[in-house]
Amino acid sequence: MIQLQHISKWYNVGGKPTFILKDINIKITEGEFVSIMGPSGSGKTTLLNIIGMLDLPSEGSYQFFDQAVYDLREKHRTELYKKNIGFIFQAYHLIDELTVYENIETPLLYQDVKSSERKAMVSDMLDKFNIVGKKDLFPSQLSGGQQQLVGIVRALIAKPKLLLADEPTGNLNSKQGEEIMDLFQKINEEEGVTIVQVTHSEKNADYGHRIINLLDGRVESISEKPLKQV
Amino acid sequence: MITNYIRIAWRNCTKNWFYPLLNLGGLSIGLAFTFLIGAFAWKETRVNKNLADYKNQYIIQSKWANPDMGLDITTVGPLAKALKEQYPHLVANYYRWDGVTTNVSKGDKVFREGLQIGDSTFLTMFGFHLLYGDPSSALEQPYTILIREDKALKYFGKKDVVGQTLSLQSFTGTSHDFLITGVLQAPNENSVTFLNRENDNGFFVSDASIDFFGRNLEDWNNPYIVDYIQLREGVSPEALQKPMQQLLVKNASAMIANNMQPWLAPLQTYYLEKDNGSVKKMLYTISFIALFLLAMALINFITLSISRSSSRIREIGIRKVMGGTRKQLIVQFLVESFVMVLLSSVIAIFIYSLARPFVSGILLKPVPSLNELPFSFGVAALVLVLLVAFLAGIYPSLVLSAFKAVESLKGKLQVKEKTYLRTGLLGFQFFTASLVLAGTLVVTGQVAYFFTRDLGYDKTFVVTAQVPRDWTGAGANHMQAIAREFASLPQVTHVSLSWQIPNGWDNGFLPVYKEGKDSTDAVNTEQMEADENYCATYGIPIITGRYFRDNRDTLNLVINESAVKAFGWKEPEEAIGKRVFFPGNFPMNIVGVVKDFHSASMKDKIQPTVISHVSLNKRYRFLSFKLRPGNVAGSIEALRKKWSVLLPGSAFEYGFIDDTLARLYQSEIRLKKASQLATILALVIVVLGVVGLVSLSVQKRTKEIGIRKVLGATIPSICYLFIKDFLPIMIFGSLLSIPVAWKIMQDWLNNYAYRVPITLLPFIYSLMFLSLLSFVLISLQASRTALANPTKNLRTE
Repeated sequence: MIQLQHISKWYNVGGKPTFILKDINIKITEGEFVSIMGPSGSGKTTLLNIIGMLDLPSEGSYQFFDQAVYDLREKHRTELYKKNIGFIFQAYHLIDELTVYENIETPLLYQDVKSSERKAMVSDMLDKFNIVGKKDLFPSQLSGGQQQLVGIVRALIAKPKLLLADEPTGNLNSKQGEEIMDLFQKINEEEGVTIVQVTHSEKNADYGHRIINLLDGRVESISEKPLKQV
Repeated sequence: MITNYIRIAWRNCTKNWFYPLLNLGGLSIGLAFTFLIGAFAWKETRVNKNLADYKNQYIIQSKWANPDMGLDITTVGPLAKALKEQYPHLVANYYRWDGVTTNVSKGDKVFREGLQIGDSTFLTMFGFHLLYGDPSSALEQPYTILIREDKALKYFGKKDVVGQTLSLQSFTGTSHDFLITGVLQAPNENSVTFLNRENDNGFFVSDASIDFFGRNLEDWNNPYIVDYIQLREGVSPEALQKPMQQLLVKNASAMIANNMQPWLAPLQTYYLEKDNGSVKKMLYTISFIALFLLAMALINFITLSISRSSSRIREIGIRKVMGGTRKQLIVQFLVESFVMVLLSSVIAIFIYSLARPFVSGILLKPVPSLNELPFSFGVAALVLVLLVAFLAGIYPSLVLSAFKAVESLKGKLQVKEKTYLRTGLLGFQFFTASLVLAGTLVVTGQVAYFFTRDLGYDKTFVVTAQVPRDWTGAGANHMQAIAREFASLPQVTHVSLSWQIPNGWDNGFLPVYKEGKDSTDAVNTEQMEADENYCATYGIPIITGRYFRDNRDTLNLVINESAVKAFGWKEPEEAIGKRVFFPGNFPMNIVGVVKDFHSASMKDKIQPTVISHVSLNKRYRFLSFKLRPGNVAGSIEALRKKWSVLLPGSAFEYGFIDDTLARLYQSEIRLKKASQLATILALVIVVLGVVGLVSLSVQKRTKEIGIRKVLGATIPSICYLFIKDFLPIMIFGSLLSIPVAWKIMQDWLNNYAYRVPITLLPFIYSLMFLSLLSFVLISLQASRTALANPTKNLRTE
């Protein structure tokens, strides 16, 4: 599904390049659950953003479903990414001025889904994640865990094949975090959505099939874990 | 999608009301003022457009070889009639009138009224509408009169007054009843019934009664008749040029035929173009001011929108991550600005209705109410609003939508903000504000100068009133006797009977030449006619010789200093005892020289003036009373009582010289008031803008302020941080405006022969005022944050 080759990213600071990522080669197959770990500043988030096509590397190539991403025009890339990728953030990043319902609906607006269809899809998701009662509340009226749940629902609303999560439990307490991670696992196993998450926590990383350890912009090690029995 | 945008725009406004309120407030004021000025300008361009066939109608104007020889707006009476009779293939119709002012009474109601004695074509040619009466016969019989509806209400308290009579006074003092044959619906402003401020006529008399007034429309040598003609379709006004000249050569005296050149001014544009296009110029000026104010409000909107972007950055990032394209974001921000601008237009419409009477008062003319405006005005206003919305929204939306998703999510501006644009816009605002402020100070100074400059006479406690005319020897004697009667009142020190008062009345000119020269060397002088008490009443100093003593001074002349110079004498003493000649070799003896004094607007230099005694021409119009200081209201009451005894059947309509001057400088006072209003609005908009920008800047740097305080910064030093950011721009913008304002004001002042010197002071004042204002605004806001507990500030992340 994803194939990164020789991905590097650097900034010029005082005339000298400072590497954020250096020669990253990663392959992720469909249905996988991958965790990216590493200390602060090791390039985890940048790597996730590159996978999510929010950011461009300075060098390297990226195959997404056998499409060479960087050969695509901006418009097609947006199209590809809109259809296939959902994003979840540590700080939830809900739009404060929109209700839960409207937040969830927003990606569909950008994909030109018809109004009636949108309604059905959002209602379906609200129902599925048990937050029908919260649909008219604003983000500020929700707890962190609930907000993140809305963030996840919003990421999933367009039925993406790939879910990217940037420290999704970073702002949550351990119980809420555990619930969110269980949810990820469920989504991965039941819906077959590929998940790549960036995390600090060993415990959360263990939910993944594979843990990629980054240090100073390089892949230090990859630890494989046997697939759990369904 | 659009509803989603509108919803979020609305929530953005309501959630954080402070900035939207600043935005809405400034923009509403700018729009309301623009609408008001636009409506006023629209109405001004509609003058004469309601006349039937206005496109083919012309007023005959006169160009004189010497502008002092006669009036521009009148010509000889028979000209229009002769054109119609001798060139029927060119001229379709004509209307002429002679304007007179006389006492009109009904029972004990007596007022001085202006009336038009004119041709019976008045109604048909211009399509004026009669509320009552038969238009075909209304102006045919002698001693019949048409009356405007508001005058009917004034005299009778009702409009249906056909068949009633009014008593009119002639200039020989006799009265006659006139039968009202029609009530005229008050017409829209036009240059027939309302030629100028002195000729706002509500009474129309057929020329069949002209003999009663001792007037004559058919005299080829009376160039004081207003003529209108209507050309046949397709005839150009140039085609009349030759016929008019030929008619004059054939019929009029050589003096008129040689010196007066009649020409046709189209009624369509007459109002806007008259007096060197003064109305048009004024409309341009106030329209520019309105647009400048709107631009300032627009700039506030743009700068505040961009500055506020920091609070929107995260949202932009999220939307991008969720697949929003740049185009969609641009549309979203545009929709938001449209919502805001439409909202402020609604507020502007409210302001319009509220401020309309006030602005009408300043502009001295009613600004049309909303329902008087045509549909097309609404469309134009809507187009303007949409344009404003687009201008207000396009730049912020381009800037905001360009942010990159990833960095937006971090809530930081990744591009270095293009502050030079914002700086430039802020500078422009201060440029404009200081321009308007300095200009207003200069205009206000010049207007004050009109009233405080030594006029050459003493205007305090002088009251004037027009008296009924009886321009015969007996009439003049009688009126002089009446003046003496008034002078016997204890409340009055002097009373003078005269033809002129210092009100800028255009008297025409009188060519006068010295003994030993002939009429080709004549000096064009202003002729004043006054009695022996004029100098004492007005306190005009006599330099040498003497002023008039009594009626034996009929053939004596008093001249002013300018006349001394104009006649070529070096010293005033040289003039005493000399003879000069009036037209027709009529000799006059100079007995005295008075100091120059202002009888007209300070636009013009004081003219060489010759004062003859009122008994010479036996013409008079005014009594001037010099009151004793003290109870002015009581003195006026005493005058009124005496008046009703001495001059029964005529109206005592008095005025102080200050009121007379206020009328004389009406357009200057209007400019002063309008520019003061514009200054206030400009300052309000600038204050809104500065408050918005500074408070955002303070908000962004709250953390920095906290850190600095922890490190021991004082409050003034924190205020200085912000002052340093804003004040130089403001001062620079203001400084830049000085040469521009200087040039504009110098040009304006050059219109006046007597003017205040232009100095740096108004510019320094405006600069200081603006700097101080900004300084206070910045300090207030910065110190509020600086005074807060630093730990609170540090927690804002």
